[in-house]
Amino acid sequence: MRKKERVINALTGQPVDRTPVSNPTNVATVELMDLVDAPFPDACRDPELNAKLAITGYTELGFDSIAPYFSIIQESSALGCEMQWEQKDNWPTVRMGNPIWKTPEDVKIPSGFLEHQDNLAITKSIEILKKEVGDEVAIVGKTMGPWTLAYHVFGVEPFLLLSIDDPQKTMESLHKLKEITVLFGQAQIDAGADVLVVPDHATGDLVSGEYYKRFLLEIHQELVETLPVPLILHICGKTVDRMPYIAQSGMAAFHFDSKNDPQEAMNAVDGKINLVGNINNPETLYSKGVNDVKEEVFKALDAGVQLIAPECAIPLKTKIENLLAIPQAVEEWTSRK
Amino acid sequence: MAIIHEGLSEEFKYVTKQNEQEHIGAMFDSSDLLMQEIAFNLIKGNNNEVYDLVKKALDQNYEANTVLDDGLIAGMAIVGVKFRDNVIFVPEVLISARAMKAGMEHIDPILSASGVEPIGTVIMGTVKGDLHDIGKNLCIMMLRGGGFTVHDLGVDTKPDEFIDAVLEHEATVVGMSALLTTTMPNMGVTIEAFEEAGLRDEVKILVGGAPVTKNFADEMGADGYGSNAVECVQIAKDILGVKG
Repeated sequence: MRKKERVINALTGQPVDRTPVSNPTNVATVELMDLVDAPFPDACRDPELNAKLAITGYTELGFDSIAPYFSIIQESSALGCEMQWEQKDNWPTVRMGNPIWKTPEDVKIPSGFLEHQDNLAITKSIEILKKEVGDEVAIVGKTMGPWTLAYHVFGVEPFLLLSIDDPQKTMESLHKLKEITVLFGQAQIDAGADVLVVPDHATGDLVSGEYYKRFLLEIHQELVETLPVPLILHICGKTVDRMPYIAQSGMAAFHFDSKNDPQEAMNAVDGKINLVGNINNPETLYSKGVNDVKEEVFKALDAGVQLIAPECAIPLKTKIENLLAIPQAVEEWTSRK
Repeated sequence: MAIIHEGLSEEFKYVTKQNEQEHIGAMFDSSDLLMQEIAFNLIKGNNNEVYDLVKKALDQNYEANTVLDDGLIAGMAIVGVKFRDNVIFVPEVLISARAMKAGMEHIDPILSASGVEPIGTVIMGTVKGDLHDIGKNLCIMMLRGGGFTVHDLGVDTKPDEFIDAVLEHEATVVGMSALLTTTMPNMGVTIEAFEEAGLRDEVKILVGGAPVTKNFADEMGADGYGSNAVECVQIAKDILGVKG
């Protein structure tokens, strides 16, 4: 079975020869940047460098999918947010302390949004990847959900305060921001993305599960209806309390964090959505060794997690050997079975 | 214990651990209905009401310290418990903090003029390369609610900036936050900078942030680690030998 088919089948509930290894967020590392001479931040902003780095997820690591959008800031840069691009060993970030908008009335998609350098870096990269490996490996695009965009454009604290002070304006803002999610997502589909990740950080570290239901469930259902590829929702942190709601979103899968036990997560979604995850980043992939990584992979597989992946974008100084241990562990587990 | 305010009595039911019932309950032992009204409105995040009630109390010649301890800090103690136990989340804590700030507008000038010493002075910042501040800000709110003076260095804070701030404010505690796995190591870099500056023994260094663990904190040589904003207050008190 080809890697691409394996990923799509797992996301759509079709049979697979083994559990796919995916990277819904990204697996770029400093070692991989050096290997192909495509360092951050240039690899986030230049389509050719971006494609060179993204393809290493397949050529060097042997994962079943590749993901060219390495961070969470491309659209926000195109919207005009103040950026800190950082260096090779750190992710670019939005300066959320200097938000660009205050109210839903401010939300306007700039003309030429899709032609902005930082959006083209992704869509052009997907076109390159499609030509080079599009038949073999699944190309996973990424478009930020409205909740995450709201943090960037309004600032985290002002947005969370708005959610209490004026829920109606909060909903209005989210519906307007959702159009950005759709626009950039569709552009990546048109460029050749097979799957889209929708990071939307309504995490249990910040808001309640009821918040997810109240503000996002319906919007996520709309995204599923609008964007014609399998969608993977990504939310970091503790999320078990909202997984029963996430399971109603219609998304093909939920990419979950190691703060949630895989078996508990499987029980929470009750077969209504596939799970992707949840190998711990800072303690296991970054700090421990190959055997520890494999143990975590086995635990997720034993629980029935449908796609194995790091829990989130991996620490940039993670050792390649630890990443290679993920597909190795899946092969070992499969052959034992 | 003498909680006579009906709404506050309901809120107190969220305090379920016996030792906390005793500790927080004692905070209301000597308070009257007005102080409990302030505490209740702070818990609910009613900033305008807290602003008006604190002013009313001061106009009635309550001591500023009494209003701070029996009204604002006592209310914030219940907010902290509810937050830790996932009864409320960050938005609800933010509105309580906003209410605290509204009350402090009246109290701060009085305390500053009277020269009352805080229980400790803390320097807080998100480490170099990291622009996330919500966790750090929550810690600051809780620490201020717990009676500490906190100097906020903001985000993307270089080791030298932490050191300069400690010297300038004669702080005894430094709190560092990081949200990114790429920036966590900068906590260790900052600790090393304190060592190189010969100041490591002069300050206690506390760390926290979503990806940071106790093991990671220990390996870096931090003095304390808190997994949430509520913990950081108790850890800061413990580390300074402050009771309560």
